[in-house]
Amino acid sequence: MRQDDLDRMLSKEQQIIPSSGFVNSVMDSVRREAVTPAPIPFPWKRALPGLASVVLSLALLLIAGGALFTRGIAGQSQPLALPFAQDRILEAARSIRAGWIVLALLLSFASAKLSIRFTTLRD
Amino acid sequence: MSTDDQATVEKVLAGDASAFEDIVRRWQRPIVNLAYRFCRDRGRAEEMAQEAFLRAYRSLAQWRRKAAFSTWLFALATNLYCSELRRIPIRTVGLDEIVEPKDSRAIDGGLEEEDQDRVVRRAVFALPAKYREALILFYFHEMDIASTARSLALPEGTVKARLSRGRAILRGKLSKQLGQPLVRREA
Repeated sequence: MRQDDLDRMLSKEQQIIPSSGFVNSVMDSVRREAVTPAPIPFPWKRALPGLASVVLSLALLLIAGGALFTRGIAGQSQPLALPFAQDRILEAARSIRAGWIVLALLLSFASAKLSIRFTTLRD
Repeated sequence: MSTDDQATVEKVLAGDASAFEDIVRRWQRPIVNLAYRFCRDRGRAEEMAQEAFLRAYRSLAQWRRKAAFSTWLFALATNLYCSELRRIPIRTVGLDEIVEPKDSRAIDGGLEEEDQDRVVRRAVFALPAKYREALILFYFHEMDIASTARSLALPEGTVKARLSRGRAILRGKLSKQLGQPLVRREA
């Protein structure tokens, strides 16, 4: 088959005429769109400090936990057994008051979730 | 045409939504026909074209005046049609599953022109999406590579490569289906 044959067959195309109601149907949706208020964007500027503090707290928690855990391993010559590791982790968590950090994280998460919910409800 | 489009767009952007009707009236035919080439279903073509106009209305402010309005509109419509058909594909058969029509009246063993067209269309729809899209747009734009590339938002070289590969696949498959040589029949 030659290129010309293919071009000829593919160029030959039946033209369709849009139905009589097409323009009206498009314009109905355009008018509906025009009267619908624009969606409220998520308030990133307001949420940013909260999100930044969440990330920072998480990073501090990880660093502090990691440091205490390493110190525990260094002071212990025998291999780390699982119950011992749990004790060390709990001790480290208590010493840095991890409960408060977790609570703060949960509150931040809940507040961000609520903000998102409120903005989507208003759309 | 482009100054008309620009004036209409300015009116719409100034808050006159009903001015958009001029754009719809001016471009409905090519936009619906482009959709039809992608899906071969009149009803679906109009639905997709309607969605394309609605998207154009929503993003009218993004039209850069450097490019013609039609270029921007075709690119937007093409993008929508391609993603729509990837989301809900049309029912196609594989290239190797295309059944040769029973009506082989031609003396040389080839097919009648109408049958040839049907076989060719099916073969185009059985192509992988990237080759199919390039071929559909290339013939829609009357074999203009630059317009095809703009509609697909691809470099011209990529479009040429896709067209060449798509044509090669088609030629290979269609030679078996249509028989050789392919003779043009006059009515």
